[in-house]
Formats: sequence, C-alpha cells, structure tokens
Amino acid sequence: MLEFIREDLGLKGTKEGCGEGECGACMVLVDGRAVNSCLMMAVQLHGKELVTIEGIKGRDGGLHPLQKTFMAEGAVQCGFCTPGLIVASEALLRRNPKASLEDIKLELTGNLCRCTGYEKVLSAVEKARGK
Amino acid sequence: MPEIIVKPANLKELWKMLPGLPSGRRYLAGGTDLVTADNAGAENSECWIDISGLPELAGIKETAGSLFIGSGVKISEIERSAAARKWCPALSAAIPHFASPSLRNMATLGGNAANGSPCADGVCALVAEGAYALLALKGKKRRLPLKDLFLGPKRTALKKDEVILGFEIPKRRRAGAYFKLGPRAYFGISKAAVAVTAEISGGVIKKARVALGSVAPVPLYAARTSAWLLDKKLSAETMTGASDMVKAEVSPITDTRSEADYRRDMCGVLLERALKSLA
Repeated sequence: MLEFIREDLGLKGTKEGCGEGECGACMVLVDGRAVNSCLMMAVQLHGKELVTIEGIKGRDGGLHPLQKTFMAEGAVQCGFCTPGLIVASEALLRRNPKASLEDIKLELTGNLCRCTGYEKVLSAVEKARGK
Repeated sequence: MPEIIVKPANLKELWKMLPGLPSGRRYLAGGTDLVTADNAGAENSECWIDISGLPELAGIKETAGSLFIGSGVKISEIERSAAARKWCPALSAAIPHFASPSLRNMATLGGNAANGSPCADGVCALVAEGAYALLALKGKKRRLPLKDLFLGPKRTALKKDEVILGFEIPKRRRAGAYFKLGPRAYFGISKAAVAVTAEISGGVIKKARVALGSVAPVPLYAARTSAWLLDKKLSAETMTGASDMVKAEVSPITDTRSEADYRRDMCGVLLERALKSLA
C-alpha cells in the first residue's frame, strides 16, 4: 500500500522508515483510523476510505491546526517522521478532542522521531486540541 | 510478494476456492506479521488468501454461557468492546501492552494465535481466560482449549488450510491482570509476561489460571501453579509461594531480548505483582 501511495498515486508525503511497523513514518488513515501503510496490501483498501497526509487540511483548505502548531512549537526538524505524527495525532483528536498529555503520549508510542526529543511534538498536539 | 492474492466473500466460497489455488498459500488477516515477514524477504508463498473480510470471523458476540470473539476482530475493536472488558479482565489489561495503537487497528486476535509466537500478548491473556479456539476446515469444525493450539515456536496444531473462526471465553465473574516486562513501558516485545485470572470469594481463590509469555517454547499455561493456588487465601504467603512455584514451571532461554535467569526471576516478580493487584 505504501508503494501504491507513493509510486502509483504519486503522493510522496507518506514516508517509508522501517518497513516493519516500528516507526510510524508511513501512517495513513483508513476509515478514520491510523494504520501503518507499509504493512497493508493495497488490495485491502477495497471499499475503504484512505486519507494520506496530503488530505489532512484545515477547514478553510489551508494548513490543519496540527500543522500550524507543529510549526509554531518547532516540532519539526528533519521532517521525516512529521507526516506520520500528524496523522496519528489527527486520529487521536478526532476520537478524543480532549485527549490528555498521557493519552497523547500513549497514542504516539508507535511514532519514532530521532530529532525533536518528543517534547515539542507533545506540546504541539496539546495546543491543537479544540482547534 | 505473492503472485496472487484472493479474497473470498465467505467461508463457503473459501472452501470452494481452495482446490484451484497454488499449494504454497497462506492466510492474510491484519498483515502485521505476514507483511512484515514479506517486507524482510522471509515469506515466499505464491498465494495469499485475504480472510480479513470473512463475515464468519467477525464480531464479538455474547451467548448465555460464553463470549465469542471472532478471529478477524482487530485488537482495537476488543479495546472498545464493553462485553470484552466485562468478561475478559486479563485480555483487557493486556491490550495497552499489545504493540502500538496503529498496529492494534490492523492486527487481529486470530492472527496473534495463528502466528504461534510464544510472546503473543493477546494469546497469553486468552489462555489465562480459559479460552477455547474454534477451528474450521471445509465444513468440519473442532474446538480445543487454546493452550493446546501451540506446539512450539511458530508451530501450531492448525492443519493445512484450517481457519481459526474465533475464541470462546467462558462467562464467569473473575478478576484478571496482565503484567509485562519489555525493553520499555509500551510497544516492545516482552522479555517475560504474566497473565492471571482468579475467581475470589471471601479472600479465597476458588479458581485461578496463570499463563506466561516469552518464557517457554509456547504461550505457557502454568498448570501446576494454577492448581496450587486453588483454595488458598490471597495472602502475602500465597503470593510468594506461587512466585517460587512458577519459576520452576517456566523454561526461558537466553536470546537477543533477555537472559534465561533474569527471565525466570522476573516471572516470579510479575506473578507476585499480578496477584497483589487482584487483592
């Protein structure tokens, strides 16, 4: 599915990190739930809704609140893990708009970031709540 | 990657399809084990049969005496099920320790069992719940205690083409716990894990089931420790006694994740903590 998204659909926002479900760089939403696209077959999308990072936008069609807070907080450094982090955070906030810091930490256990040390990511997600 | 992936609409169609498929075939459900192996070049079947949509493997259903969890049920569905929380205390406690949230949206309980890993969190907990596995092969159905499904690392009693329909968990009021020791608090493969359920009446254990992960060639049902706990008071002495006993019942190995002696000791510690949490 990851290959399908990147090579056939030409949507390069979704990244391949580990290819074994450990890093979360390839995360996308299938029927509103975060999944690792490196471990799904494209045929398994039949009849389902797929949203990649390219489909995550603000209500006005511009940047999504999470994208704004990630920028404002400096939660992006090399940027490779960012699409996955935004997708995972969006899945959480859709389900639980009042997620606590602990909820956010638990939700992001499947997303590895080697640059930021996570603190700025966590505060970016906290600041995007309710927006 | 396999040359072909087929997706039967239901079990009847699956059985009809089988004779026409290459013999090198495997079932694909959540994909979190199979596709990982494929990405690593360790999977070379010619054909995958996608059973993730089979209606017979779906859903969590209550009957008078038991709870049925379909093998195609995703781990996150169990997390959201009030019936599972009510009747499966050890399994519910295990879920936050099962991989990561996104993998829980993909992985199925049936796949966790069919993969046959001794460290499978869902399976270890289900063994402690006293679950039965319901299997089907071309219309022939059988039911066996889940603990008997496992023969060795990655080896199960499943026959070629046999499908796990689901798991049947007896509906009895019991307390349960799941304690896992991994490289970090969440999202790691366990060095050792302990699942316990107990029916407790007036501070006395009336029925107990202890299961352990990653410390034997299979998800281990600790039969001796479970039997020993019967009719014991849930006291500090009982916890220490059970902890000593379980250490003699496991057979851990030293591998990349941990060392045998450490794992054995931790089984005692985890069981003591698990029993304490039930008190």
